Amino acid sequence: MTDQGNRLVFFWGRECPHCAKLHPIVNEAHAELVKNGGQGITELEVWHSEENAKLMRSYGEVLKKACGGSLGVPALYNERSKKALCGMRITKEQIIDLAKE
Amino acid sequence: MAVKKLWRCNVCNDIHYGIKGPEICPTCGAKNAFTLIDYPESKKVIIDRGDRLDQVDQLLEVWEKFAEGKPFKLNPDTEFVKTLARGELENQKNHGLKYCPCRITTGDLEEDLNLICPCNFFIQPVYKETGECWCGLFVKR
Repeated sequence: MTDQGNRLVFFWGRECPHCAKLHPIVNEAHAELVKNGGQGITELEVWHSEENAKLMRSYGEVLKKACGGSLGVPALYNERSKKALCGMRITKEQIIDLAKE
Repeated sequence: MAVKKLWRCNVCNDIHYGIKGPEICPTCGAKNAFTLIDYPESKKVIIDRGDRLDQVDQLLEVWEKFAEGKPFKLNPDTEFVKTLARGELENQKNHGLKYCPCRITTGDLEEDLNLICPCNFFIQPVYKETGECWCGLFVKR
């Protein structure tokens, strides 16, 4: 397991339909990253885990900007580069690029 | 920013929360009838017998009515809409309010009030850019 502070985190909500649609794309990106010897993606559900929600809030400044003003899911956050992607239109290519940051 | 206060219609006891009371009471039609009250009084005046909106079908009906005559409509994908309704009811059960399942609360109640569905999506950039609210529940006609 990758250490906290050095991960690419996928924040998602169990009842968020866009998260469900993005999930297979995140899985594909994860598989590709691992296949190429990189670190995978850490998935954290935020509506049913206060611990995960707290972590997401701690990255709030960057995530809010990426999510158009308020915290939102689905969102990906690179703990190393402190860069984020947010929303339903995230592509696999964008995720791979974010992982390489 | 002006502070919102509580107002009570002295004819029918409607309660309003806002910068000022409505000029015409939406319930009884009385003019200039709203007077400033405090929170304890408002709690006593509001009788807990309003409709419970805790079923998926009820929410769908409320949302349909909300969108009536507006430049946006409910997303035509009913299964998608029902998933969101279930998510909001789950959030109501676990977090106290019908927060958008595609957002996440900050822990600051005042800030989180903006995440109750239907939210203020028509003033948000994402609606202007994509024609949909953040979660896709409402789409431009």
